[in-house]
Amino acid sequence: MAIKYMDKYPKNVALRGWILKPFLTTFKNMIKTTIHRPVTIMYPYEKEWIPDNYRGRPGLVFEKCVGCGICERMCPTTCIELVEVEDEALGKVKRPQVNVGRCMMCGYCAEYCPVEAMTVTPDYELAGYTREDLIYDPYQLKWENTTIGMEVHLEEHLPSNLAKGVTDKPTAFYEVDRPKLIGEKCISCNRCAKTCPVDAIEMIVVGENAKGKPIKHPKIDDSKCVFCEQCIVICPKDALEINEVL
Amino acid sequence: MMTSKMWVTMGPQHPFSHGLWTLKVKIDGEVITDAIPIIGYLHRGWEKECENRTYPQIIPMADRLCYSASMTWSHVYVMAVEEALGIEVPERAQYLRVVADEICRIQSHLMWLAAMGTDLGNLTVFLWSLREREMFLDLFVKLCGQRLTTNYPRIGGVRNDMPYLFERDCMRVVDLFEKRLWDIIALMDDSAIFLSRMQGVGRISRKEAANMGLTGPGMRGCGVNFDVRRDDPYEVYDLLDFEVPVHKDGDAYARYAVRIEEMFQSCEIIRQAMAQMPDGPVRIKVPRNVPAGSHFARIEDPRGEALMHLISDGTDKPYRLKVRSPIFVNVSGAKRMVLGTRMADVPAIMGTIDMCLGETDR
Repeated sequence: MAIKYMDKYPKNVALRGWILKPFLTTFKNMIKTTIHRPVTIMYPYEKEWIPDNYRGRPGLVFEKCVGCGICERMCPTTCIELVEVEDEALGKVKRPQVNVGRCMMCGYCAEYCPVEAMTVTPDYELAGYTREDLIYDPYQLKWENTTIGMEVHLEEHLPSNLAKGVTDKPTAFYEVDRPKLIGEKCISCNRCAKTCPVDAIEMIVVGENAKGKPIKHPKIDDSKCVFCEQCIVICPKDALEINEVL
Repeated sequence: MMTSKMWVTMGPQHPFSHGLWTLKVKIDGEVITDAIPIIGYLHRGWEKECENRTYPQIIPMADRLCYSASMTWSHVYVMAVEEALGIEVPERAQYLRVVADEICRIQSHLMWLAAMGTDLGNLTVFLWSLREREMFLDLFVKLCGQRLTTNYPRIGGVRNDMPYLFERDCMRVVDLFEKRLWDIIALMDDSAIFLSRMQGVGRISRKEAANMGLTGPGMRGCGVNFDVRRDDPYEVYDLLDFEVPVHKDGDAYARYAVRIEEMFQSCEIIRQAMAQMPDGPVRIKVPRNVPAGSHFARIEDPRGEALMHLISDGTDKPYRLKVRSPIFVNVSGAKRMVLGTRMADVPAIMGTIDMCLGETDR
């Protein structure tokens, strides 16, 4: 490629009429902009076009959410908090609440959401009168104009697949990674089954101990599991660990 | 005649300083005899804060290092982590990163050109270059959803593939921009006022620049022929054909000319990368724990050579993340540049450094 500008300039400005050329250029531009439509947008009355994937404040589809807490864990500014909500249709459920005043609009909550309940909305006019106004509860987070295609999909490819030449199988960590049980550490406490947001864990009797009581181990249903790691976090004896598939 | 020397503090509220920094100059009448750059007003503890974040969470924070070079800063961070993980990024993702980097370089240089225009009292240049910059910011909105804090590169690829018709938009913007850049050049380079204020001031020799460790357009304006993109190629820059502009004088005009030429070359790189772009995946899955070790990656930022040094200890959080900011080094040349010039030349000279305090103070 060739140098485009540096071999042409600087020119001798004395031969070019000192500042005549800039005057001509501005005059040319003045005529151009007079004919064409103005660049200025009268902001509150008319707005700039924004694409569908614009990252404004986070939005929530209340019915889709399972309360797994991946968004809470991924949030770099810890502005998401899981709160218990008394819903008319669903009963007592856990749903994310976002402190929009602290949100940095990175879109991680939407990107990592396994059920595509969190979305990014094109809503950017977020000013409020008090700080409490900026804490959006799960119902306020709803965005009625949410359309299909506004979800951000986490489409990663497994390196092992790429090595085999398979390039059309995008996946995500919550589809392939699963908790792994270390049997001898488990104390049959049942906490993982209680905390699982999607009821993927079932306690199964695997034997009897010396006193004749049944030993129960968790069995994970791979089709239901969204890999939220809540069972791994809550396990008192670290009997469950992350099994990463690469 | 006896004259008394006087210290004049320029900044942090002085209109010449783009950002919060101070330049204390010692003047003898109107000639500058000494200068001390003072920085640190914007220290946020960025490096320390990174030690409490997991690896993906640092990417949007790296955007905040510099508002006009957000893409390159998150790029150099993910390159450092990929270096530590020892993974190869899919080829399409590499091309997308190159395109995004060059868009970022153009819009950063346009921001600098606008600031330069206001420093020299030329408000037309300010308005025109900010108008062209809008086109590139619109490309960013289409590509990654936001104008400045892009959050686009990911460890192991990029966030999303190109949106529908992005290639067409890119070509249109680049073609239109090249046409309009000649108008801005006519406004600056053909003006006797501009040339008399820029030529011959803020001179720095090649040897001094090398000793101080200047990088970027400041270094190439002194005749040092080095560019990380060409001489230590990362991503796919070795497959692309572009020129590295080098100017022999080391004055303010040379630094200006190098940046203008870099914009033309960036347009060319975008065209070539778009033409060569292969199909395929854009992101691969990476392990969440980075093996212990010490790795670094460097990149050609719009302002110079950006480097991140990552020390990992085998967990999902970095043990230490050191940022080598180009402006932190370049501003140390401020004293040498302004020495012997007049007081009124200081904005013209310091404008060519292209200050960005977010990355300098971290």
